[in-house]
Amino acid sequence: MGTRRPPTSGNRRMTTLQDHPVSGGQTLAQLPVARRDSVWRRFRRASPFALIYSAAILIFYTIIFIIPFGTGIWLAFQNWDFITNPKFVGLRNFTKAFTDQYFWQALEKTVLFSVVEISLGLSIALLFALALSQILGKWQNFYLSVYYLPVITPLVVSIYLWRWLYRPTGGAFNTLLSSVGLPEQPFLASPQQALWAITLVVIWAHLGTGIVLFLAGINDVPESLFEAARLDGAGFWQSFFKITLPLIRPVLVYQMVVSVIGTVQMFEAFFLIPGPGFSTRTLALYTYELGFRALNLGYGAAVSLIIFVMLLGATVFQLRRWKIEWEH
Amino acid sequence: MATTADSRPLPTPISPFRRWIISGKWTKAVVFLILAFFSFAMFYPFIWLLFSSFKTGADIVSLPVTLLPKKWTLGAYLMVMDPTRANLPIAYVNSIIVTIGTVISVLITSSMGGFIFARLEFPGRDYLFYFVLSTTMVPFLTLLIPLYIVMRELNLLNSLWGVWVPSIFSSFGVFLCRQFVYGIPRELYDAAKIDGSGDFGIYRNIILPLTKPILSALAIFVFLGAFNAYLWPLVILNEEKKLTLPLIIARMANRFGGTDYQAVMAGSVLVSIPPLIVFLIFQKNFVRGIALTGLKG
Repeated sequence: MGTRRPPTSGNRRMTTLQDHPVSGGQTLAQLPVARRDSVWRRFRRASPFALIYSAAILIFYTIIFIIPFGTGIWLAFQNWDFITNPKFVGLRNFTKAFTDQYFWQALEKTVLFSVVEISLGLSIALLFALALSQILGKWQNFYLSVYYLPVITPLVVSIYLWRWLYRPTGGAFNTLLSSVGLPEQPFLASPQQALWAITLVVIWAHLGTGIVLFLAGINDVPESLFEAARLDGAGFWQSFFKITLPLIRPVLVYQMVVSVIGTVQMFEAFFLIPGPGFSTRTLALYTYELGFRALNLGYGAAVSLIIFVMLLGATVFQLRRWKIEWEH
Repeated sequence: MATTADSRPLPTPISPFRRWIISGKWTKAVVFLILAFFSFAMFYPFIWLLFSSFKTGADIVSLPVTLLPKKWTLGAYLMVMDPTRANLPIAYVNSIIVTIGTVISVLITSSMGGFIFARLEFPGRDYLFYFVLSTTMVPFLTLLIPLYIVMRELNLLNSLWGVWVPSIFSSFGVFLCRQFVYGIPRELYDAAKIDGSGDFGIYRNIILPLTKPILSALAIFVFLGAFNAYLWPLVILNEEKKLTLPLIIARMANRFGGTDYQAVMAGSVLVSIPPLIVFLIFQKNFVRGIALTGLKG
């Protein structure tokens, strides 16, 4: 289990000649003769291969990251519609967001979708992984592949497929419901159901990832721990809550962090399955509409910066909470 | 006869079924059945997709709806392959160009980056690496509008280059390969260095072959990501001849959605084939890849 390993093994360097012990318990680097080279000399000694690569990566990230990010921050303080000249408006875009009911509506939908998708999706994935860990070999692989199919299917395909199945009249789900005597549902046509119908599509589409990762985590738990628990008279669920769950906590946290970032940015599902009115307009869709439909670029940039700050906060919060729990 | 009989009662014979129940093996069978049920439920939409794509236009909207086509036909497939009605073949070419380009560039830049950040010394190396990692903290959504503006300035709108350029480097890929290169003994590098190899030669002849396992895992993720991408191509491309497959599906849904939904289904089946093939071929690498990538913590 590499669980205690820090996420990046940042400054780790292999021991070199510099660390080699010489007389008196000193290392070679500590001897008075060794002086650190100047930056310039280290540059000249570095391999051209590394320097060219670094230059390329710097140019790339300048174009693709630094300039856009800077532009985004600058844009958030402007009013711009692509045509007239940008006009500086100070913090007005941000104060506008706080009084904009559409922003709050979109935020509400995003949070609802994200919370339900993650809690339901991860619980189901964990249950499936647990069940799969009970059967081994060929069949485990077979089921895994079936559960993974929706993940590899392009999301656009899944969306149009589910839209077809959700049709109020003649859709597969309503046919199924009425064949067992349940009332037909409007699904995507109803403002109350549309968001949950879309959530179900996304859960279905992403379930496989969760199952594979959880299963890998569960398979990593040493069999001897379960053996010991069984000898002590622990039942299946007891050993799940006392052994499996604590040991796969890193997987769980990783999945939660990644899922929050993924669900908040989920775009296709809401773009291609429009619910009635604004009932399924999330922040991702709102940003897109502000930028590319309403051409309110400044406000769009401000909203997307707010999303960035919220996601950063959520990630730091999750990681910190996990660390505290881990220490106990 | 009866006089010699043992007075002890015969043990009641246990039927194999009861023995099976007592032994507790039935829980496995129940788990198996539950899993079978759910795998069918998860597969169920695909069954509709497949069968609907063989229906006729009148069949697909007729009530009551049936799973199987009343009359099997390839009409929907012919419809989407017809260049006058849908640009699916061109979109196929576009998608494959962008996807292969992305996979190749990410594999090269990631393996190089992994080697350079793990083994070579130059000033500012670690700062650069942390910078590359920190870019992942900014969600793509935040960069969407300004990146579009940058691409507009670079004149890359409405071209496949514009779709490809932001994904030449992958910070995740660089991170992954760096972790992997740390696992390769440093002595190999030192020995080659002493033998007089240049750093690029070492990368080419030693590091690249040794990082193959991680690269094949990375390749699958990058392939799926690039092939299924929707938002960025949507923003960049608008001319019909330039669209990638996910975009063309959406266009087709608008065009045929009313009465010819079977065409959307047929197109969807065709679009799903490349990822499916890649998945089936690399299935083994895939599961191993997830273990290697350390995604499980």
